[in-house]
Amino acid sequence: MPAETRVAIDRETDIVTARQKGRELAAACGFASTDQTLIALAISELARNIVVYAQRGEIIVKSEFGERRGIEIVARDQGPGILNVALALQDGYSTAKSLGLGLPGARRVMDEFEIDSAPGRGTTVTVRKWVR
Amino acid sequence: MVPILKHGKFLIASIVSALTDQDLIQLRDELANKIGQVRAHGVIIDVTAVDVLDSFATRTLRDIARTVKLRGAKIVLVGIQPDVAFAMVQLGLSLDEVDTALDLEEGFSHLRRGEERSRHAG
Amino acid sequence: MREMGLTAQNIERRRNFVGLDSDDSKRIVRIQELVEGHLEELTSVFFAFLGGIDEARPLLGNRDIIEKVRLLKKEHLSEMVRGEYGTDYIEQRVRLAVVYSNAGLASRVFLGAYHHMLRALGVLVMKHSEHDPMAGFESYMSLKKVAFLDIGIIVDVIVFERERVIRQQQEAIRELSTPVLQIRERLLLLPIIGVIDTQRARLITDSLLRSIRANRARVVVVDVTGVATIDSKVANHLLQTVTAARLMGATAIVTGISSEVAQSLVGLGIDLVKFNTVGDLQGGIEEAERLIGYRVIQTTDNGAAEHMKEA
Ligand SMILES: Nc1ncnc2c1ncn2[C@@H]1O[C@H](COP(=O)(O)OP(=O)(O)O)[C@@H](O)[C@H]1O
Ligand SMILES: [Mg+2]
Repeated sequence: MPAETRVAIDRETDIVTARQKGRELAAACGFASTDQTLIALAISELARNIVVYAQRGEIIVKSEFGERRGIEIVARDQGPGILNVALALQDGYSTAKSLGLGLPGARRVMDEFEIDSAPGRGTTVTVRKWVR
Repeated sequence: MVPILKHGKFLIASIVSALTDQDLIQLRDELANKIGQVRAHGVIIDVTAVDVLDSFATRTLRDIARTVKLRGAKIVLVGIQPDVAFAMVQLGLSLDEVDTALDLEEGFSHLRRGEERSRHAG
Repeated sequence: MREMGLTAQNIERRRNFVGLDSDDSKRIVRIQELVEGHLEELTSVFFAFLGGIDEARPLLGNRDIIEKVRLLKKEHLSEMVRGEYGTDYIEQRVRLAVVYSNAGLASRVFLGAYHHMLRALGVLVMKHSEHDPMAGFESYMSLKKVAFLDIGIIVDVIVFERERVIRQQQEAIRELSTPVLQIRERLLLLPIIGVIDTQRARLITDSLLRSIRANRARVVVVDVTGVATIDSKVANHLLQTVTAARLMGATAIVTGISSEVAQSLVGLGIDLVKFNTVGDLQGGIEEAERLIGYRVIQTTDNGAAEHMKEA
């Protein structure tokens, strides 16, 4: 049965909640434990970006049971947005002097990745992964 | 909260599953203090129960390792689970600066081997 | 049932697909007594059809199976006209379908037999409804909905079971293509053969990591002598495998990189220092033993190496 969970993100402990919910849903969806961990990791990175760069936002985790079984994660905020998206997607690029692996890494561990961001408009990252 | 236990000359910090950023930062500061207080020779960080290590956790663990080394002690990270290790490398994380061992037992023997080696050398 | 997603909800959906409702149940119950009186005869039609078909031999060749299936089929017919099509009914259908599937009965063969039985049922019902043919016809049409419900389940089970076999075979092939061998306590050998793409690299890493934990390995020798081509992409995959092993506390030694490959990798800007390479497999294993703390002692009489663990 398709399911959807929303987790409001406005402090650091919400990151833990979001990735736990994501893992639960991924397990119910039929993902193997390796993939559950990849999904939890992607959620962790996206949720942390919200806390660090936008202060608050939300994570929506949806399981899909259409033609393909899988999971979709939407990380949305109304923060400052990203000036140069292409740059932000490069390994090691960070405006916060951190590792700069969150966005490119989330892209690598998931099957599909979309980002919509502009200065002043906030950021929405949508990622999907399919059960193999 | 991450409890820090003393075992001979070693300190052991076992991290619980729902690891928050605050826990990690607190751990770093407490370790820095405690190493001096008890004159620890080595530190074992046990992450057996941790189900995800993201880029923030990885960076903080690296910082902890640097802090511990600066205080003159050895450090070894133990218990990274197969799924966790797999996910870390997929994301692009590597933790080059930190010694690792399979579990607590291996962590102890790693630190002891290190002690012997430095005794022979000195 | 659960694996196949046959929840109460799903069953209701299936009933809606064929349009089976409580009115149908009422119409069907009208012919219950009649059908109950002819169970043996109708079951025979089903099996007579199968008897004439080569593909059904696995099912009919075994006495025990025939007896079991005949019983289940009779049970099916009498349940079919009871007017209750919930979880219990579906569970019985699945059970029978699993027997068919295990006996290798193809869905087209099953459909043929079912069709013959259904036609016999229709003839029977119409013959006994001469006083009210319309009512007989209605009952029969309602029963047909049940039949389609049945067929949906049975075909799905047959397909599901076949996919299960395929999944198991794929699993076995995967295991074979990424063998992790323990050559000594704490020492694993991972010989990689063939082509490494992203998907395969993941499988290799995954199975290596599990073996490291299961065998409490300290050192892993990754031998790439049999890898078709090592370009920068493959090198990066290998680096990931090596890094992941290290995160779990195991040191990886890569062997079998020829000097030409090494040169071309350096030319591509790939740092081989991270790899801990040793020329050939033998050298790699010796290095691994040194790391673990085995001493290699050359025995004089036969020249074979003997291994002793350091105190
Ligand atoms: N939600 C967001 N809002 C604004 N900027 C963001 C957001 N997410 C990422 N960024 C920008 O993209 C850069 C790269 O992000 P990331 O790959 O996660 O690395 P890191 O967080 O380590 O800097 C960040 O440094 C930041 O400038
Ligand atoms: Mg980030």
